[in-house]
Amino acid sequence: MSEQAIFEERVYERKPVLRRWLFVHKWSSLICTLFLLLICITGLPLVLRDEIDGLLDDAVPSAQVAEGTPNISLDRVVESSRTMYPGETILSVFVDDDEPKIMVFMASSWEAFKANRQALHSIRFDAHTGAVLKQTKPFGGDGLTFLQVMLSLHRDLFAGLAGELFLGAMALLFIAAIVSGIAIYGPFMRKLDFGTVRAARSRRLKCLDLHNLLGVVTIGWALVVGATGVINELSTPLFALWQQTDVRAMLAPLQGRPVPQTSELSSPQAAYDTVKAAFPDMTTTSVVYPGSPFGSPFHYVVWTKGKEPLTSRLFSPVLVDARSGALVSAVTMPWYLRGLELSRPLHFGDYGGMPLKIIWVLLDLVTIFVLGSGMYLWFARSRAAKTQQRRSAALPLPSPGAAE
Amino acid sequence: MTNRSLGLIWRWPALLALLSIFGLLSALLGQTGLWLPLSWGALTLPLAVAAICIVRSRS
Repeated sequence: MSEQAIFEERVYERKPVLRRWLFVHKWSSLICTLFLLLICITGLPLVLRDEIDGLLDDAVPSAQVAEGTPNISLDRVVESSRTMYPGETILSVFVDDDEPKIMVFMASSWEAFKANRQALHSIRFDAHTGAVLKQTKPFGGDGLTFLQVMLSLHRDLFAGLAGELFLGAMALLFIAAIVSGIAIYGPFMRKLDFGTVRAARSRRLKCLDLHNLLGVVTIGWALVVGATGVINELSTPLFALWQQTDVRAMLAPLQGRPVPQTSELSSPQAAYDTVKAAFPDMTTTSVVYPGSPFGSPFHYVVWTKGKEPLTSRLFSPVLVDARSGALVSAVTMPWYLRGLELSRPLHFGDYGGMPLKIIWVLLDLVTIFVLGSGMYLWFARSRAAKTQQRRSAALPLPSPGAAE
Repeated sequence: MTNRSLGLIWRWPALLALLSIFGLLSALLGQTGLWLPLSWGALTLPLAVAAICIVRSRS
């Protein structure tokens, strides 16, 4: 280790405040780095998930139709699904506004779905012809796709809510590492010009300078993606909170009334159309059947979103009486779910075309380097410190304290 | 060697951080016309600056 590097480290050692920040930087990084590396690496394919999904999709392509061909009725799609799986329950119907497809989600019952979310399976229909394009099996019967594995490693380590909260905590530590990194960057750079990379001296010094340079230029992006990552990991408890408070209050007057049976349900297409007519400025995306844990036992929950770039990220549910088909009310979303919805694009990087995705990948790669070099620096420093100890034992050098 | 002020030390990093935030928001809020290329440019600059520093250190 060069004399200057030793000097720099002494700068920190002399000031207690800096020593504390250095301690926070070291330990927050050390604890989260391995998980953050996993998150960053699995994040790479997830940035390009639409493209990869398109490449790996083995579904029958949808039929070529004349422009302006209307979608087939959701009633027909639901009927076909019931014929294919008699005795099963329809959970929801999703109408894609991007591609001509309609997804129907089914399970043996809502209870089975509540007990295990994996009980769900889906049928993909051609939105124009009603032909079945693809089906999935419940309980992961198809095996996990590459992207599902990546997503689970990225989001919950295959451990559900516990995994989400754990990785959320790791992301919080990552933010602590960035903030403490900012605190120690200033004192460190007092003798150096911005962007200095001392390449010729030693590998460790070069690595340290690169760690500082690449870390500091990506602070803005890393803080935003880290913070929105934490918010995303809280989506399960946030939706549960909403369900327990606003939704419960709204449904309270109906408490104890008989729940509609499948035979009593009004037409899902009619519910869809009612909402579409009532909210012409919104795109109607899906119809959730009564009985959902994220909905109502008495209503269809019809989800809508705005048509503008920004508002298309904001979803609003509308309740339709499942027996009569009458519009009941639009549900206002609380601020914390709006915040969650806005944090999604800022985390995924999927809102500015292919160039933005490529930038996301590059910034992710830089973050991987910053994490990796941080680890290397810690290992190298412990080694260097040992050598230094041995040397100072052999040579009567003045200690930093004696110089003052 | 002179000690640099915090203002001097943080001039570039603060500028690049502001540019990043601008880039992140301009694509989100604008999403059309000039806002997208502006976003790409603003988010590429931090990478470009780092690349220039690294290339310089080699010579």
